[in-house]
Amino acid sequence: MNADVRMHVGDAVVARVAAHHARRVPGVVALRADLAQALLGVAGAVLGQDRSWLPADGVTATVHGASAEVTVTIVTRLGHNCRDLAQAVQRDVAAGVRAYTGLDALVTVTVADVLLN
Amino acid sequence: MAVNPGDPVPTLACGRDAARVWDRAEAGVAPDVHERDCPHCRAAFADAQGLEAVVHRMAAQRLEPPDTVLDRVMHAVVAEFRPYEVLSLPSPHGPARMSTPAAAAVLRRVVDGMGGLRARSCRIEQDGAQGHAVDVRITVAARFGVDLASVTARVRQMVIAAGEQALGVPVRRVDIEVVDLFEADPFGEGGP
Repeated sequence: MNADVRMHVGDAVVARVAAHHARRVPGVVALRADLAQALLGVAGAVLGQDRSWLPADGVTATVHGASAEVTVTIVTRLGHNCRDLAQAVQRDVAAGVRAYTGLDALVTVTVADVLLN
Repeated sequence: MAVNPGDPVPTLACGRDAARVWDRAEAGVAPDVHERDCPHCRAAFADAQGLEAVVHRMAAQRLEPPDTVLDRVMHAVVAEFRPYEVLSLPSPHGPARMSTPAAAAVLRRVVDGMGGLRARSCRIEQDGAQGHAVDVRITVAARFGVDLASVTARVRQMVIAAGEQALGVPVRRVDIEVVDLFEADPFGEGGP
């Protein structure tokens, strides 16, 4: 029997894959959650949260058909070139999302902070 | 003070070009006879090595910042960027941006690390018409006795080099204002 299977990858899946790859780029110290994510994190800490979810703080993703828009907000330290780091994150996240989900991702990176010590 | 090629470049008080001294310091060339004895060239040499140390030594260190709940929320509040608060970074892979206050903090930090100087305010502006190039306005306090003519040349060179090496944006224009003097501090030079 040969059934057609159609897979739809959800926004949260893309966000978690993107966060996983972004955190592994050398020079990324942390991903910075936006306000909604930070408050959800607080709620989770108070209510007792299932820690088995892969964290996606600092990443938002929207899937449109065969492509995805991903935004990543990162923190780095002085000594890493912000331009090169942003490009490396875009490259690695897009490659990681593509490899895992098959989606073409347009990755927007924002360097939110540079730690100075 | 514009950084356009072809413009006259302010020199160190001894008449040498700070950028030349930097090039030699970065290439690891030993200082020549003049540079060994000239305080202005020695300061410029130290600037170049200072940036090198900051950029490469700190990059090699490993550090995880403490991340308390309060930190996370406060960071999130300030991380809601408005358009004028981000610089656009050159990238072939899509939109890449950087917080302008974070970029200004980087430039202030490297200028603070220069001997005899403390950075005060730093404004960075990027008007989209000029690609990614930025204009920097920085105010500094100098230690009493430091040669003021050389200060401009040194700060200018430091800002241009840090813009390229630490931020990754070309610096088109640097305006430097020496707004204050301080005395040598027996307890060492802290930041402001």
